[in-house]
Amino acid sequence: MIEMQDVWKEYSNGVNALSGVSVRIPQGEFVYVVGPSGAGKTTFIKLMYREERPTKGHIFVGGFNIEKLRERQIPIMRRHIGVVFQDYKLLQKLTVTENIAFALEVIETSRRTIQKRVAEVIELVGLKEKANMLPRELSGGEQQRVAVARALVNKPNVVVADEPTGNLDPENSWAILKLFERVNDQGTTIVMATHNRELVNAYKKRVIAIEGGRIIRDQERGEYGYED
Amino acid sequence: MKIRTIGRHGREGFKNLFRNGWMTFAAVSAVAGTLLILGASLVLSVNVQAMSANIENQLQFNAYVSDSVPTKELPKLGNEIHSIHGVRSVTFISKAQALQKMKKLLRTNADLINGLGNPLPNEFVIQVVDPHQIPAIAREVKAVVGIEKVEYGGSVIPKLLSIMTIVRDTAIVFIAGLVIMGMFLISNTIKITIFTRRREIEIMKLVGATDGFIRGPFFVEGTLMGIVGALLPSLILYEGYRWLEKTVTLFPPFSLLPTPFVMDRVVLVLVGCGLFIGLWGSVVSMRKFLRV
Repeated sequence: MIEMQDVWKEYSNGVNALSGVSVRIPQGEFVYVVGPSGAGKTTFIKLMYREERPTKGHIFVGGFNIEKLRERQIPIMRRHIGVVFQDYKLLQKLTVTENIAFALEVIETSRRTIQKRVAEVIELVGLKEKANMLPRELSGGEQQRVAVARALVNKPNVVVADEPTGNLDPENSWAILKLFERVNDQGTTIVMATHNRELVNAYKKRVIAIEGGRIIRDQERGEYGYED
Repeated sequence: MKIRTIGRHGREGFKNLFRNGWMTFAAVSAVAGTLLILGASLVLSVNVQAMSANIENQLQFNAYVSDSVPTKELPKLGNEIHSIHGVRSVTFISKAQALQKMKKLLRTNADLINGLGNPLPNEFVIQVVDPHQIPAIAREVKAVVGIEKVEYGGSVIPKLLSIMTIVRDTAIVFIAGLVIMGMFLISNTIKITIFTRRREIEIMKLVGATDGFIRGPFFVEGTLMGIVGALLPSLILYEGYRWLEKTVTLFPPFSLLPTPFVMDRVVLVLVGCGLFIGLWGSVVSMRKFLRV
């Protein structure tokens, strides 16, 4: 479960990214976060995996009290959260398999478990044939599927994604969303910030709309609700 | 930390050297260049120091007593010389002892002076505290009544000494400057190396790697770069010095300290410096990037 209680975030340059946000996302929910550029969506996402700290307020993610987290507990917390970005953030010098295995290696998983889990997620994202290719040999959609596989490989309770389809064509965007749905079906919470009107309107989920750093709308099975 | 993890750090650190080929080359070159000059300065300064020490050991000169001074006056004379400022000790060598010494020097030809009686004067060997003051002290000793003559290496020794001192001091300043410049150069190189890999570090942090885990391969990498960067100049200097020593020995009275004596130490210093620079560089440069 994710919970924010009256969360404020002011950056050191004086920009108020979030002003008094309170929200509750139960385990296993699928949530879109929508809103215009600069509304505070990315900050909202960053707070969840503690890339940013709130200026004020409380945040709980899967039993971790984010604001009270000690420096050395941050890595432990992040092992329970999968993160996906618009620009994939893959290591260009590693193959698909190595990129995914990387997430398990750094948390000192045994080699046998790594092999098993990596094979499972590669199968899940449908990249078995391209397992030994380098990122630059893949299309954008395929690279994003590698990134999703990496986010999923250590079985996180929560997956947060910041514009995961921002660089993808409609077909590949659908593929990513389908993947998230499958993962969500197994009980993983998905929080996805997006500008993709078609996806939001086609796959009806909970929609949280942020504008000017405040939640202005929070609907079950909501609509995108913005003109592009 | 698990043993498997240590193995991984070693493997990754080693692989990274080749993955980031050009940056490795740049960093190793920076270390090697700096240490080469550092090593050369060390070799120079060690030799200069040895030469100075050699000269400084010659802290004595002789004063000859006029034959007109009666034997019982000699201790008084010795005391008078000893009371001169800057004199450490005064040793008396009698006419008889001087003759013995002379005979020993002449060995089989000692007969030559047997018929002459003893032409040698009584003599004081005067040791001074500071070799630079030998001329001044010698003048004072000569002024003592009963001293006929003083003998010392003339003005050559003080001049030589001051040249040596200048060379040594310059070398020290030079070395200090080099070390500072080298560290700056190397830390920048490593910073760039890490800057180009901030994405890698960022991803490691995102998937929950601890700071210690992230540092591991960088430590290995920095250390390896430091060692390789030290071995290269060590080899060049060792071989170069050996050749130089051999060549210089052909032209006595010049001589250099023996190669193993100098170079074993210099190599040790260089490898130590390389190791330190590599580790220090990785620690300092990483600190900034771990705050993701």
